[in-house]
Amino acid sequence: MKTVFINCSPKKQFCASAYFLAIERLFVGGSKVTEKLRTPADHDRILGQLGDADAVVLCLPLYVDGLPSHVLRFLEVLEPYCRSRELHFSLYCIANNGFIEGRQNEPLMQNLEHFCHRAGLSWSGGVGIGGGVMLNVTRILFGVDIALLLLNTVLSVANTGNFFPASAWIGFAENAGLLLFFNLGVLFYLIGMAAAIRKGKVFGKKYTRIMLPSFVFILFADIFFCIISLFEGGLFRGWLSKKEPDKEYLEKL
Amino acid sequence: MKILIHDLDQQYEAALKPHADLVINADGKYAPCQGCFGCWSKHPAECFMKDRLQQICRVMGQADELVIITKNLYGSYSAPVKNVLDRSIGTSTPFSTYRGKQMHHTLRYGKHDLWKTIVYGDITEEEKETFRLLAERNAINDGFERSEVLFVNDISEVEALL
Repeated sequence: MKTVFINCSPKKQFCASAYFLAIERLFVGGSKVTEKLRTPADHDRILGQLGDADAVVLCLPLYVDGLPSHVLRFLEVLEPYCRSRELHFSLYCIANNGFIEGRQNEPLMQNLEHFCHRAGLSWSGGVGIGGGVMLNVTRILFGVDIALLLLNTVLSVANTGNFFPASAWIGFAENAGLLLFFNLGVLFYLIGMAAAIRKGKVFGKKYTRIMLPSFVFILFADIFFCIISLFEGGLFRGWLSKKEPDKEYLEKL
Repeated sequence: MKILIHDLDQQYEAALKPHADLVINADGKYAPCQGCFGCWSKHPAECFMKDRLQQICRVMGQADELVIITKNLYGSYSAPVKNVLDRSIGTSTPFSTYRGKQMHHTLRYGKHDLWKTIVYGDITEEEKETFRLLAERNAINDGFERSEVLFVNDISEVEALL
């Protein structure tokens, strides 16, 4: 059995789609291939992997309530490719958005279902994830936790010869448990979808989110953008103002 | 201000111009959004990519009425039209709020009036339903009071709907 995972995020690194793809990949057996779709230059290489695929998993961000334009462009190429070669693999998706409600991915899911009907593929459903950006941050925080644990252990060995500093391990376990809790809904559905892929079954559309109350999520999201905008300078460049287009730009448009 | 975005051939441009204050030809000769959020956090309402859509947020923000003429693609806008929409998220700010009982971003340019979509090309009943849902969600997301989706069998029917 061959499963092709396609990371459709246009970002080069640290994208949420790559995080969810990595989790899903862990639980799917058989032959596995991971591809990256960013530009039309990737099309031929990806198409070359699909001829003998049993399942394809698209991991992608929600853009303006739907599929990102570079993914639409790829699907336009993929549809005749599948039809002409009579390919019938199962298509699954992992869609994530920055808002907290996973259900905001519904139009995207429907677009993929319609694509499958036109391409002659088997639409097998997917997971729509809310709070994708923040969940992606949890993996970075987990990395920081591990680094802190290692540092504490090294300091403990140097100072007291103790290879197992209890307080550091307790702190690490508490933080890791909290980060795991935030990801519980995602893990539950991604593991479920992996089982469906292994069995070649339809998974259906499922929606989940980061395990945080909405008001806390919004507060964290706002703080996140304040910090980012401070470091990137947008805060000092008319951050929230009604910017007018340049006359020169309008004339060329 | 009435803004019209379309993916029709150049030959229709002259017929469309009298019906809007600004007509944007979505010809696909621009880059897709890179998802960097720079139009929120680095250079507000402006894209780092210096192409035709660099200041599209600032233009779209002026729209009282937005009319989109697009070919159907799986119940979605065509890729060139969706590209324009993807590059326009700077019409909102990075701050979050609730609209339509769901989380969205606050509006940089305030409320707008009508988000009107005219769809041409082969389309199934199921795709029509998805298109209505998509346009309705876009309208809520971008702060438009009303959303309208019209389907035409032939491009020649478009002008009468503007």
